[in-house]
Order: sequence, then C-alpha cells, then structure tokens
Amino acid sequence: MSNAAIAVDRRRVTWTPFLFLAPALAVTTAIVVYPVIQTIWLSFSNYVIYAPDDQRFVGLANFRTMLGDEVFWISLWHSAIWIVGVVSLQFLLGLATALLLNQSFWWRGLARALVVIPWALPSVIIGLMWTWMYDFNTGVINDALIRLGLLSGPVAWLARPDTALYAIMLALIWQGFPFFAVTILSGLQTVPAELYEAAEVDGATRWQKLTKVTLPSIADVIATALLLRTIWVANSLDVILVTTGGGPGYATHTLPLYAFLRAYSGMEFGYGAALALVLTVILFAAVFIYVRRASGEAAR
Amino acid sequence: MRRRDLLKGACALGAAPLANSLLARPALAADTTVRWWYHFDNPQNSPAELVARFESQNPGIKVQAEPIPWGGGNDYQTRLFAALVAGNGPDCAMVRLSWAARFQQMKALEPLDTALAAWPGRADISDDIWKINAGPDGKRYYLPLQYVVVYLYYRADLVEAAGLKPPTGFEEFRNVAKALTKDGISGYGMRGGAGGFDHWGPFALGGGASFEKGGMLTEKALAANRRFVDLARQDKVVPASAPTDSFRQIVDAFKAGRTAMTIHHVGSAKEIVDALGDKVSAVPVPRAPDGKGWTYFGDESNAVFAASKVKEAAFRWISFLSTGENNADLNKLTGQLPVASSARANWTGHPKRFVDASSASLPIAGSLPDHPKTPDFIARVWPANMQRALLGEISSDDMMKAIEQLYHG
Repeated sequence: MSNAAIAVDRRRVTWTPFLFLAPALAVTTAIVVYPVIQTIWLSFSNYVIYAPDDQRFVGLANFRTMLGDEVFWISLWHSAIWIVGVVSLQFLLGLATALLLNQSFWWRGLARALVVIPWALPSVIIGLMWTWMYDFNTGVINDALIRLGLLSGPVAWLARPDTALYAIMLALIWQGFPFFAVTILSGLQTVPAELYEAAEVDGATRWQKLTKVTLPSIADVIATALLLRTIWVANSLDVILVTTGGGPGYATHTLPLYAFLRAYSGMEFGYGAALALVLTVILFAAVFIYVRRASGEAAR
Repeated sequence: MRRRDLLKGACALGAAPLANSLLARPALAADTTVRWWYHFDNPQNSPAELVARFESQNPGIKVQAEPIPWGGGNDYQTRLFAALVAGNGPDCAMVRLSWAARFQQMKALEPLDTALAAWPGRADISDDIWKINAGPDGKRYYLPLQYVVVYLYYRADLVEAAGLKPPTGFEEFRNVAKALTKDGISGYGMRGGAGGFDHWGPFALGGGASFEKGGMLTEKALAANRRFVDLARQDKVVPASAPTDSFRQIVDAFKAGRTAMTIHHVGSAKEIVDALGDKVSAVPVPRAPDGKGWTYFGDESNAVFAASKVKEAAFRWISFLSTGENNADLNKLTGQLPVASSARANWTGHPKRFVDASSASLPIAGSLPDHPKTPDFIARVWPANMQRALLGEISSDDMMKAIEQLYHG
C-alpha cells in the first residue's frame, strides 16, 4: 500500500468513531447541554415568566439573595438529611433483601419479582398511597398502631414538623430499596462459590464471610449503585410535592423542591435557576466521582 | 430498472399525496380543531356529550377537550402558564380571576368585547357577574362559566343536640366549635393546606385585613388573624392534621363525622349529603362583630388565548358552554352553579339549602386581588406562613408581615 493510501485510510479510521457518536452527541447537546447553559444564563437574570419584557442581567444578585434567604438554608439542611438518610437506609435494606434473595428457597422466583413492585410504581402513586396511609382520620398506619396498643390516639404524621420529613423519607426508602436489592443481587451472583468454600474450610463465621468475602467482592457494584442513587435521591421532589407540598411550613422543603416552588409557583425562573444551580454544583462532586469510576472501569 | 428510475418512481408516489393535501387545503381549513383545557373536581365526569352536541351544531369545528389535573389550582395554572410560554398552549381554557393580572402582563389573552357584543347569551348572565369578571384595563377577556360561593357546613344534628344555633358571628362560631369538640370530634375542620385561604379569608379579611398597602398590619387585621390562629393554638377546636389538611381531608373528615363544621362550597354538597343526609346543613360564614364579612367568590370563566389561530371557533365553543341548557349541563358535571340565569331558574343540581346558603353569601362574596403576586400568595406564601403560625413556629403577626411583604415589599 502506498503512503498516500495509508494516510487516507488513517483519516477514515480517525473520523469513524465521531460519525457513530454524532447522533448521540447531537441529542445530548439538545436535551442536556443546552438546558444547562440556559439555566446558568437564567440564574444571572431576574427572569419572571409573566414579565418577560422586564428581564435583565443581574450578575450574582440571585446568589447574594440566597445567602440571606432563611428558606434556602432550611432546604439545604433538609436535603442533607434527606440524601444521607434515604440512601443509607435504602442501601442497608437493599443489601439485606439481596442476601435473602440469594438463598435457595422454593418461591425465590416469585419473591424476586414481588420485591421490584415498589420500584416499578410511579412516584405520584407512591406519594398518594402513603399520604392516605398516614392520614390522620382514616389512615391505616394510625389504625394499626392504635389497634396494636402502640398509640393511644391518631398522630398527624404529615402535619407535624418533627415527623413529616421522616415520614416521607420512609415512603421513599420503601420505593427505592428494590434498586439496591436487584443491583446487589446481580453482583452477588458473580461471586465465585470457591471463595465461600475456601472461607468455610478456614472456619470463617457467617459474619466473616459477609465482611471478608461478599462485600469486598461486590464493592464496585455497591459503589456505583450508591453514587447513582445519591444523584437520583438528591434530585427527587415528586413524592414530597404530592404528600405535603413542602409543608407544614418549611418542614419538608428540600433544595430541588424549593427551586421548583420558586420557579413554578412564584414564576421566578431567575431565582429558581440559581437555586437549581447550587444543587447542581453540590451534586457535581458525586457526578465527578461516578464519571471517574465509570471511565476507570472502562479502561480496565 | 435502474436505481435512478426507482428513485424517480418513489418520489412521484410520495409527491402525489402531498400535492393532494395542498390542493385539499380549503376543505381542511373548514375542519378546525379547538383545543380546550378544563378541570372537573370529579375527574370521572367527561364533557364528551357537550362536545358532541356542539360539533353537531357547528359542522367543521372539532373540540379537543383536554382534562388537566387541578392539584389545588397549582398544577393547573403552572401547566397553563408553562404551555403558553412554550408556545404550546390551548386555544381556550377554564381560567380564574386571580390569574388575570399575570395573563395581562404576558399579553396572553384575546379581548372578547366585539364577540361578546354580538353574542345573544350575554343578557342571560347577570350584571353582578359581568362586573366581577371585568378586565383590569376595562376590556373583557373572560366569559363567565360557573361560580361558587364559600359557606359554612355544619352538623345540624349535633348543633341541635347541644342546644345551640348555627353561628353567624366570630364569637358564636368559636363557642359552637368549642362546645362540639368532644368525643373524638373536632368542632371545626380547618384547612391549613393547599387552597385553605378560603378558610382564613372569612376571619382575617372579614375581620378587617385587606390587600391594600399596610392592610395586613393594622391593629384590626392583626387581631383578626390572631383570632383565627387561636382556634388551633389556644382553643384547640381543629384536628391535629389541620396545618396540612386540604380539600380531600376536610371533606372526608366531615363526612366521617370527625369534624362538626367546615368551610367549602356547593361543589362538595352532593358527596356530603350522600354520607350525612339531613344531618348536614349550611349557613354563610360567620361575620365580624361590626357586621362586616368576607367570603370567597369562586369564579370560573373561559378565555381565548391571543396565540390561538382559531379564535373565532374557540369563542363559539366557550360561548356555547355559557349558554342556557349547555351551561346547566356543564355545571352538573362540575358540581358548581350556572352563570346563565335561565339555567339557574330551575336548577336542581344541588339540595336547596346549599343553593340558598350560596345566595345568602353573595353580599359578602369577593375575589382575591387581581395582582401578579396572588397565585404565589395562594400556592406558596399563604400555606407556608399559615402552617408555621398554626404550629407556633412564627407568630400570627409575623404571618401577616410575610403577606404584606409579598404584595408591597
């Protein structure tokens, strides 16, 4: 082959991956990159949706306002409780479920199918379902606890600032634990049986087998699941919106919910975008770790 | 056959329907489709019969009726405003007076003055209703469709058994609520959640507060709000869930016999009567000691949007809905009261005592201010601050300051 022919062939090879990627890149640019840039731009403006003619560039004014906004700090703190509480408990429940479902029992197939149901339900259904379960007058939770003698009278779970956030967190933990269960279960099935046999020969206890064999073997799966779930939970606002709308007062306000309310109730898209941007920056750390992990795994 | 010939053939085949559709454009133009957004309290009710009647009377016009979730008003208005901004709004929709100022700023509405002048049904709607529905700039953008007036539901059997009378004033209301709070029953089913401003209004606005500058902070206004908050904080005549209770919760608790009084409109009369029969009756909301009062006039109109390309057809549809028998049939679906006088004359859609309570409430009925901040007051500022005041996180005076700040900075 002549040198010229080799050069042409190289050029073709260099461009081919980009051509294949082009449609995906175009779609990503249209539905991710463009809205992100628009959000950044909006956060530097005073855009109010019903007064588009008054829009002007305000620099960092929205971010300065945020520093003095009591509701922003309340929402930020609730977001921290929300993310840590929901993700950690979903993980523990998911891990326990996965370990159970990895055992042999005659209805294991059915159990594996049933456990996915909460994950498959739409969030709005979850929100409505738990709202009525928690209902002060007619809720099944109050009824059951009173019948069991654990309560002397009904509790307004969603109307008390000391219980409302945790009550919604419980609903979300229930909804999301199947994700961990299924993901960890798939990881468990890749652990070689020989490792357990060797541990058995060495006299390892059940706990030692879990901590020295199982968990290290599926560490990558757990880390990826935790990162993904952290991002999803941090952004989640639908269940809160349906159950309490952020109330009572600001008791169930989280950052994405507050950004949503300012944008869609106050129609203050400038300030709403600034709030959303702060959440994005905080989440960027998690995204960064995830991308590093993903690219690391791809390189292996 | 060569590839070029094959392509030519394919192009010819593809071009034929395209050419046909272009040639057929005048015929298609006659088949106008009007997109109408609506919401009914009972989502199982459908306007299909009305649509079919309209389409048979107006050949060439199709109505695409799209039900939009109400969500205490927040979902509906958010979707409507977002759709209008995105350029994908309907041609016409059910709208509320409290959104008019925002629509006005967006220049989103089509003035209806000319069309209304030629509409024969105009005289069948009373002047009072036209007056309330006038646009801020003197033009008419809204065509009234239905209305409700908020009043007080009370358990007539419990009130009578206690040797009391239905309350007409604030102090009487408080005394009746206290007397009926016993045996697991709360005297008053307060609505502190979404849409609850219509419980707060009779006490705060009826007691002297107003949306004018400084109107929330007068001594009279602050005292009126304290009185309302104290029903929960001090008198404890409301359920513990009151801070977040919304429409469904207050109505269900009243139907289940957990509360003895609550505030709502004729829209919930049917299901309440189905549950409680003659045990329930209604009177206007209580008035202030000086005889003044306020209750919410729940308006519902239709409007045509300026961006619509089928404005004339859209007006024909919305005027059809506000005309006589059609207006009556629509209100049987929505559970509210017809605006057409001819439809109201023989109205049997609700038991008479609730229609009477609605009519008796009209002298003190009013709407919220036609101001761009009003939707935010309803959806965010009022619920958050009301709930905080009910829970003791802020004082009732601080709540009034927050409302004052929203409107006047």
